[in-house]
Amino acid sequence: MASYLINRALHSIVSVLGLLVLVFFLARLTGDPSYLFLPLDASPEARQEFAQLHGFDQPLYIQFFTYLGDLLHLDFGTSMRQNRSAMEVALEAFPNTLQLAVIAIGLAVVLAIVVGSLSAARPGGLFDRIAGLFSLMGASAPDFWIAIVAILVFAVGFGLLPTSGTGTPLHWIMPIAVLTLRPFGLLVQVVRGSMITALASPYVKTARAKGVGDRSIIFVHALRNSMLPVVTVAGDLAAGLVNGAVVVETVFGWPGIGKLMIDAILQRDFAVVQSTILVTAIAIFLLNIAIDLIYAVLDPRIRYQTS
Amino acid sequence: MSWERSVILAAVGMAAIGLSLPAQAQDNTGVTIVLPEQPDNLEPCQSIRANIGRIINQNINETLTIITPEDGTVVPHLATSWEQVDDLTWRFHLQEGVTFQDGAAFDADAVIFSINRLMSPDLTCDSRSKFGSVTLTPTAVDPYTVEIKTDRPIPIFPTMMGMVMIVSPNTPTDRPINDPVGTGPYRLVEFTPETVVLERFDDYWGETPPITEATYVWRTESALRAAMVETGEADLTPAIAVQDVSNPDTDFAYLNSETTRMRIDAQMPPLDDVRVRKALNLAIDWDALGEAVFGEDVLRATQMVVPGIVGHNTDIQPWGYDPDEAERLLEEAEADGVAVDTPITLIGRSGFFPNSNESLEAMMAMWSEVGFNMELRVLDAADWVRYLDKPFPEERGANLFQQQHDNNTGDAAFTAFVMYHSNGQYSTIAVPEVDRVIEQANAATGEERQKLFQEAFKAVHDDVVADVPMFHMVGYTRVGSRLDWRPSISTNSEIRISQIKLKQ
Repeated sequence: MASYLINRALHSIVSVLGLLVLVFFLARLTGDPSYLFLPLDASPEARQEFAQLHGFDQPLYIQFFTYLGDLLHLDFGTSMRQNRSAMEVALEAFPNTLQLAVIAIGLAVVLAIVVGSLSAARPGGLFDRIAGLFSLMGASAPDFWIAIVAILVFAVGFGLLPTSGTGTPLHWIMPIAVLTLRPFGLLVQVVRGSMITALASPYVKTARAKGVGDRSIIFVHALRNSMLPVVTVAGDLAAGLVNGAVVVETVFGWPGIGKLMIDAILQRDFAVVQSTILVTAIAIFLLNIAIDLIYAVLDPRIRYQTS
Repeated sequence: MSWERSVILAAVGMAAIGLSLPAQAQDNTGVTIVLPEQPDNLEPCQSIRANIGRIINQNINETLTIITPEDGTVVPHLATSWEQVDDLTWRFHLQEGVTFQDGAAFDADAVIFSINRLMSPDLTCDSRSKFGSVTLTPTAVDPYTVEIKTDRPIPIFPTMMGMVMIVSPNTPTDRPINDPVGTGPYRLVEFTPETVVLERFDDYWGETPPITEATYVWRTESALRAAMVETGEADLTPAIAVQDVSNPDTDFAYLNSETTRMRIDAQMPPLDDVRVRKALNLAIDWDALGEAVFGEDVLRATQMVVPGIVGHNTDIQPWGYDPDEAERLLEEAEADGVAVDTPITLIGRSGFFPNSNESLEAMMAMWSEVGFNMELRVLDAADWVRYLDKPFPEERGANLFQQQHDNNTGDAAFTAFVMYHSNGQYSTIAVPEVDRVIEQANAATGEERQKLFQEAFKAVHDDVVADVPMFHMVGYTRVGSRLDWRPSISTNSEIRISQIKLKQ
């Protein structure tokens, strides 16, 4: 197991480095940041000065080696816009996104297991049909629209919740509710499907024959076996959320890494683009390892060996 | 417990939580302002950016002079008076007894420090662009008199000093900062990715303002900003979209000093024919377009500076809507061998200003009506700037370029040259007569200056037809019922907290 983890880590470092190289050059392909950074009426001399100040007048390969050299000193560059260390900017935003993502995914998985399992207990029944309708709505509703409507109803209309921002526990309710919707809707379908398969399997028939109760069959016997596809899909969805819930962060004024990344790309703040991508890449790598470990727990047949 | 009961209990619980919501910004002398975007940083020498200026201009950092937005006059502020010593030298007499928020004294040396910092090559100072490549040499005559020498005559030097933020002599000069210290009525206490907080500065040299604390937050969604003021979470937002304007008691329009136009590339046939350029102006139903796309508060533009700017000419008659005349002009040009059916590219910029694309589509339809052959290209900002200034891309072909220009400096100098002089960065015309008038205007002062700029704008509009002027644009603010405050043309660049009063 330990050797497997070390092996995975080494592989991931190579991928992250490759990603950094890619991002470094791709970002610079978008063009000259001075046009977005300086006022439109800035003189060519001013642009020249700006390029020198930030090293953009050097050939690309020199810029790249300078960047790599700085990385070795753990210097991730300075945000041109925010006048501070780019890594500081990224690490300030990331926890906000992570908290949202973890809670939303956790909630979505728990709710989806309950609702999906109950749907699978009587496929085509009333509960199944209602749950199916709601999960499809959740999976396909535009979160942007839902967020705005939620603000109009709960904050402006009823005055129950703050419109946006952070601070009190109440500030968490709407962003998490909106963020949970889509993963919940998708996962209900996954749970239901794999549950129906599991319930039709021979060992469940055996359990029934032994007189095990319905609830115990669904939530003990069948659930563990039907969790593997759920973990896979949930992992994918979690990776998407860790990358930043851009829409929710934008609408609710949540200072997360998703909006930061998009803004940095639009403004060509290269150092921030690189730092945010580095942070989320490492997070996703850790997430993937966690998912592998969960697989091993769920299915004793899975053993990670380094061959 | 039946599920109905739990639902009811949950609802009661929610309501109880709702009632115990902290009533923000209700029972005190603080204000909360919600801005449309996060400030990039808080560097005073970049304060011509709206997202920075709206926080620091005249709140944290002040200037020697202030430009009155309504008529472009320059009034004393940190300088009590000034005179021109000779063509290249200006002398400013400073307000005495002023201290910076960090305790440093405000004197001639502080002014010299601020000017030198602005000009430092170690910093990228946006405000420097206003000076072009002029070098400034400030010297102290005595502790409260400063002389500034320039290497070429700048008749509007006092106006220029309205854009130079005075910073504490303890400010680092080798790097940009996020913790500005100035002489203003408010000092910075907090700056995080979520909020900026300013507090009243007790040793302020001027009148004590009524507001004790200003909290800034930012939200990108216009509907959300409007909702925040409605619920009382915020007291003021300087910008909401026209579709969110719904309440005449709280929502006010203001001319935001931005003017939009379609620049005609007069170097490219068939646009080198003045009849074609006139036809472009006559083919648009301006009233319908303005009201449908930008709302009823926009002003039809005849020139690229707003009313009140030195050089604005009120006598220019806007082009009317006369599609028959437009068609006749095109036919006449065609009879003379002008290829009027040449494809003309409309160049727009995505997300440029609210409904910018809709305006292009509507104009394109009207131009097609009278016989133009148009195609629309909407570029992202970085691509769009390639067409903005010289040298223009070789492969551009006949084109109309959508532009929005902001001049809130009180003087047409920042507009006329760059737009219409043959050496102007954005200029697509080369008319010796226009060049001469603009050069004279730039060197003149007072009444004479006003007249010459007016002459230049009239010639460009009536005879040269260098562009298709669109509108003087408006912004909308939403102001909460606690505040006694109205927007002005300067709301685009600053919100002076000291001018906000609370309703009693």
